[in-house]
Amino acid sequence: MAANFKRLMADSREMSRRSFFAMVGWGAFTVASLAALWESLNFMNLPRTALYEEPAAFKAGPPGDYGVGSTTVLTDKRVVINRDPDGFYAISLICTHLGCTPRYFNDVTSDLVAKGISGIKDPDTGLAATPANPALVGFKCPCHGSRYFRDAVNFFGPAPRPMDRIHVEVAPDGKLFVDRSVIVDRHFRLKV
Amino acid sequence: MRLVRAAFDEIYALLAQMVSSLFRHGLPLTDKIAARTALTNFVLHIHPVRVRRSWIRMSYTLCLGGLSFFLFIVLTVTGLYLMFYYVPSTGHAFQDMRDLQFVITFGGVVRNMHRWAAHLMVITVWLHMARVFLTGSYKKPREFNWAIGTTLLLITLLLSFTGYLLPWDQLSIWAVTVGTNMARYAPIAGPFTRYLLLGGTVVGDNALLRFYVLHVVGLPLFGFLLMVVHFWRVRKDGFSGGL
Repeated sequence: MAANFKRLMADSREMSRRSFFAMVGWGAFTVASLAALWESLNFMNLPRTALYEEPAAFKAGPPGDYGVGSTTVLTDKRVVINRDPDGFYAISLICTHLGCTPRYFNDVTSDLVAKGISGIKDPDTGLAATPANPALVGFKCPCHGSRYFRDAVNFFGPAPRPMDRIHVEVAPDGKLFVDRSVIVDRHFRLKV
Repeated sequence: MRLVRAAFDEIYALLAQMVSSLFRHGLPLTDKIAARTALTNFVLHIHPVRVRRSWIRMSYTLCLGGLSFFLFIVLTVTGLYLMFYYVPSTGHAFQDMRDLQFVITFGGVVRNMHRWAAHLMVITVWLHMARVFLTGSYKKPREFNWAIGTTLLLITLLLSFTGYLLPWDQLSIWAVTVGTNMARYAPIAGPFTRYLLLGGTVVGDNALLRFYVLHVVGLPLFGFLLMVVHFWRVRKDGFSGGL
């Protein structure tokens, strides 16, 4: 076919009717095959409207249920709601390494301090794990051992960045409304 | 009496015809008959007509390719058994797996055969590749078969990975979460690949069904077709075990 094409380029009268039709036929076959491949991919790529997954947004009870300074882990939702003196913020409890669910622990640092690792400090809060005060609360991922402070900042293991902070607001009915599809700035706080 | 004898003769002739249509060449008493049998018999055609003793020396190939294929057959047969009970939905999968283990007669044996053969097949395929590499059997004229072989290795690993999700326990779910997130790190096509594999954004019903279909039909069928070509090429590229 390539040879035919070359001859055609040199002189169009060189091409026989038979090879012209062969070229048209193979060309059409190629186009149809590529189209079928493309549509097969589209077939497998189901529309987002046909996903029957849990909605990204949910309600999480009235703000009064959360004490100041508390950390509430909603395991099934894979969300953490923290209440600090300056307001609420929510964390998407999905490890930034490969997507497992980190677990909450009262102490995620003292074993590292005992090994002599220093410089464990949260740049956002200024909290540091020192030999004098080795235990900080936080999260540990069961898959590959990434660790995070209470405010989702990573400090150990393969996690490349802090867990996402997600949008939280007070719904008209007075309950907290968390939207996991909206990622917000790490300084976001909801004041109630 | 004559009539009975004629009837017997008829039956005998019929049986003789049946036997001779099955075994066309009689006993392979001479090399010539043996060669003709191997040439015209479907079951034997995978075998060369003539085999040198040096070609089938165990210490050369360690029979690793054959072992891999044997394990593939074990996996196909045991997998077929498992399919009679296993339902690929998040509501059933784990319970069906438990039933297979603890309730169904010989279910545990079949499941364990499937599981252990799967682990072994990954090992034998890797070793087979190592052997081919060490004996230099990937070189001309066998480069194409080496390429097919590496694809078969990939299919073996993908079969292992897709089968991993099917018990639908915590290990399965998080292993596949991790695996598909690794796919997401691929440049450009990564996130789309993950979405296609899972049929969504989380490891849920769609993901289980997709992995099941790939595991029981898609990958084995593709693998089988490549195996046919692989074995054919082994024959056509010839043997050099005697070097």
